[in-house]
Amino acid sequence: MRIEKNLFLIGVPIFVPIALIYGFLTEWSEWVGLLGILLVGGLAGMIGFYLAFTGKRVGERPEDRLDAEIHEGSGEQGHFSPWSWWPLVLGLSAATGFLGMAIGFWILYMGLGLAVIALVGWVFEYSRGDHAH
Amino acid sequence: MVSVGTVVWLSSELMFFAGLFAMYFTLRSTSSELWAMETEKLNVPFALINTVILVSSSFSCQFGVFAAERLQPRRTGGLFAFSRWGMVEWFLLTFLMGAIFVSVQAYEYAELVAEGVALSSNAFGSAFYITTGFHGIHVIGGLIAFLFIIGRAFIARQFGHFEATSAIVTSYYWHFVDVVWIGLFIIIYFLQ
Repeated sequence: MRIEKNLFLIGVPIFVPIALIYGFLTEWSEWVGLLGILLVGGLAGMIGFYLAFTGKRVGERPEDRLDAEIHEGSGEQGHFSPWSWWPLVLGLSAATGFLGMAIGFWILYMGLGLAVIALVGWVFEYSRGDHAH
Repeated sequence: MVSVGTVVWLSSELMFFAGLFAMYFTLRSTSSELWAMETEKLNVPFALINTVILVSSSFSCQFGVFAAERLQPRRTGGLFAFSRWGMVEWFLLTFLMGAIFVSVQAYEYAELVAEGVALSSNAFGSAFYITTGFHGIHVIGGLIAFLFIIGRAFIARQFGHFEATSAIVTSYYWHFVDVVWIGLFIIIYFLQ
């Protein structure tokens, strides 16, 4: 994952010096921009570091080689839900909650109850019923 | 896959808190006299103890992750044989410490309101409650997530990588919320 890793990690040596230059030019009196730019460096660094970590864990993938064939990448990619109704239920509960904020607070409680049902349903979808393991 | 996605999402959460920090520093620079007056009401030793509790919960969470990586959901020894604890025991301890953190913060809020620092009283009140309040909501979200992870460990006959992965990404979230609190604590209580 060398390309992905470098694409994000390059943000650290760009944004950290920019933050320092910004701090110097504002005579270290304006902290909003200083911290903001530093944290953008943090954003890039977090993803870059984790991609480097993941790259070390999974080793070289076919995507990393120029002479790789499509079939080398076949097989299980991870655990993906083929379909699920729960995101729709959770979305409806959020919509009900916002409706409650706009119209009347009592509707918000109905949204909260629905959200509990949706979250439990979603989290345990692949742990119970036909998928119990 | 799940873990990379979680880290990308957490990096966007970092930007969310960057916005809150921006709000805090903007208000602080425009009303520095107010800040000098209001920050004296903060109970710094009390908040420091609370910070220590939250940081410790990150360590117990990590021990829970080590147990999950061993695919060990429950303890194999006695209740106080910590080295034999499984993920559930460590996560329950983490939950307990996180719950103490939120409760202590609620108590701190009550004391500050009694001293006249409320959400709507002045710029400091707004900045203080919005930054620490959003962090508190994140902690409560993490507590709910821990309950779900523990629930998954209980419901699974065979604790496998599916359960372990969700435990690991929850720990990423918890560590992130912990680090954000350290930043908030330094800025609000230490730098004032």
